[in-house]
Amino acid sequence: MAGEVTIAAPAVEARDVRKCFGAVTALDGLTLSVGAGEIYGLLGPNGSGKTTLIRALAGLVQLDEGELSVFGAAPRAAVASGAVGYMTQAAALYVDLTVEENLRFFATLEGVTDVRARVDEALGHVDLLERRSSLVGTLSGGMKTRVSLAATLLHQPRLLLLDEPTVGVDPALRREFWQHFRSLASAGATILVSSHVMDEASRCDRLGLIRAGRLLAEGSAAELIARAGAGDLEAAFLALSEAPA
Amino acid sequence: MNPRRAGAVARRIVLQFRRDHRSLGLLFVAPMIVLALVGALWGSPTLSTVHVIAAGNVDPQLYAALQGTQIELKALDKDAAIEELKAGRADAVIEFDQNGATVTLEGSDPSRTSAIASSVQAALTELIIGAPLSAAVKVEYVYGGPGYTLLDYLAPVLIALFAFFFIFLLSTVSFLRERTSGTLERLLATPLTRIELVVGYLGGFALFALAQAVVILLFTVFVLKVQYRGNLLTIFVVEAVLVVGAVSLGLAISAFARNELQAVQFVPLVLLPQVFLSGLLVPVDQLNDWLRPLSAIFPLTYANEALRSVMVRGYAITDPLILRDIGILAAFALVMAAAAVASIRREVA
Repeated sequence: MAGEVTIAAPAVEARDVRKCFGAVTALDGLTLSVGAGEIYGLLGPNGSGKTTLIRALAGLVQLDEGELSVFGAAPRAAVASGAVGYMTQAAALYVDLTVEENLRFFATLEGVTDVRARVDEALGHVDLLERRSSLVGTLSGGMKTRVSLAATLLHQPRLLLLDEPTVGVDPALRREFWQHFRSLASAGATILVSSHVMDEASRCDRLGLIRAGRLLAEGSAAELIARAGAGDLEAAFLALSEAPA
Repeated sequence: MNPRRAGAVARRIVLQFRRDHRSLGLLFVAPMIVLALVGALWGSPTLSTVHVIAAGNVDPQLYAALQGTQIELKALDKDAAIEELKAGRADAVIEFDQNGATVTLEGSDPSRTSAIASSVQAALTELIIGAPLSAAVKVEYVYGGPGYTLLDYLAPVLIALFAFFFIFLLSTVSFLRERTSGTLERLLATPLTRIELVVGYLGGFALFALAQAVVILLFTVFVLKVQYRGNLLTIFVVEAVLVVGAVSLGLAISAFARNELQAVQFVPLVLLPQVFLSGLLVPVDQLNDWLRPLSAIFPLTYANEALRSVMVRGYAITDPLILRDIGILAAFALVMAAAAVASIRREVA
């Protein structure tokens, strides 16, 4: 499991994954698989285990049980090889550095060789070229989120882990984000994204509905709506997450 | 260990710190202010004139003999003399009788009491032998000398203390900020390893710590004009090893704090025992049996011993004692760096 990152393996493979934090069970026998090039949405109420799963895939959580692999390798090995980009829920940036300094720093850590070109490109993707010399502390919440996304894209990771990436982002920019996600997926990147926003969820290829650390239902938005016999995704989400497990 | 990644961390710290003008200013100015105060306090001979009242009948010969020495003599009757003593206007009252003399002191401050008692005794001895004590007993010095002040003796220790204190505080709070702001988690989700992170931090902070060490040293030697015998470079080497240990200790300690307030509360816990037990106030060999082993675990104990030996006694860097102290300080830095690495767990929640 801890071997090399391989192309043929699914991007994400979780088998019967279990994790407790003290008395709280965050992941309770979760099993799911995400294919390469897919945009997979994790849906679930607060505290359902979405963030724990994403952190585990970023190599930040030691599982109690089960197996988790990223491109066939242990998560940490995948992260160390530069295959993973992780965007945290709250922007994790250095407020006393400029936008560009933050990005250059993360680019160097990710082993990017043409730092300047990659930073410019990432800044272009999030529409922040003009703010490159601003201190991050002076930016609005939405702008920080954009810098945070840019920092995740710098090394062109093959798996993007996005934990509620569009919180605080206005609708127009959110649409641009999703266009960009789609083009990354077309280019072969896999995207695992957690969200509460239904219009966002409907843009995913596949959705996994998580509650209490377990996968309740999985399928495309249309499949989930049909299965719940609901009118839209939001109703389906509520119906499926309130149904007895 | 990828030097490029560790270097990026070090560069980032330098960049952040350079922008924080206030911290930067405090790092260099604060030790100078404190040292200047200490210099003013301890840099001059400590005991000035002792005010002595001779109670009752005073032999005029005695009176004449004592005038012009360090003692200022005044005659009063016993009760009035004691009142003067209580009011703090006199340091001692001497009452002569057939058997000799009775000296009465205020007595509440032990160090002052012994200083007064010894100068009164010296004056009386002079009187008895009929010549100044210095004529009868010639004092020679292996190190130091009559011109040495308390500051000359304490300066090496103060250099170590300030270098240690400021950089320890800074690295503790900085790394705590990394832990609490979420950036540590973000860093650990990159190829950066924990060792590279700690090495990067050591590199970044060591730069400022060493610059501070140079400033403290130069200020002490050239502004406060502390007397020193040994090589300045040797002093700097000891300081350098000490501050690297202080940065490592700060990184490790930050694991035990949840916020900056808690981190600051660790400062007295880490620092005060070292102030009291590392030879600053009381020589280590005068500590009692159970305190002495405690002093052996403090880095400042070795820094003090080494710096004092170099500055006051002129030891060279090749002296086995200095080499041993530098070795112990380096080992301390290494152990603390390892503890810092161990304290960074990927699992934060």
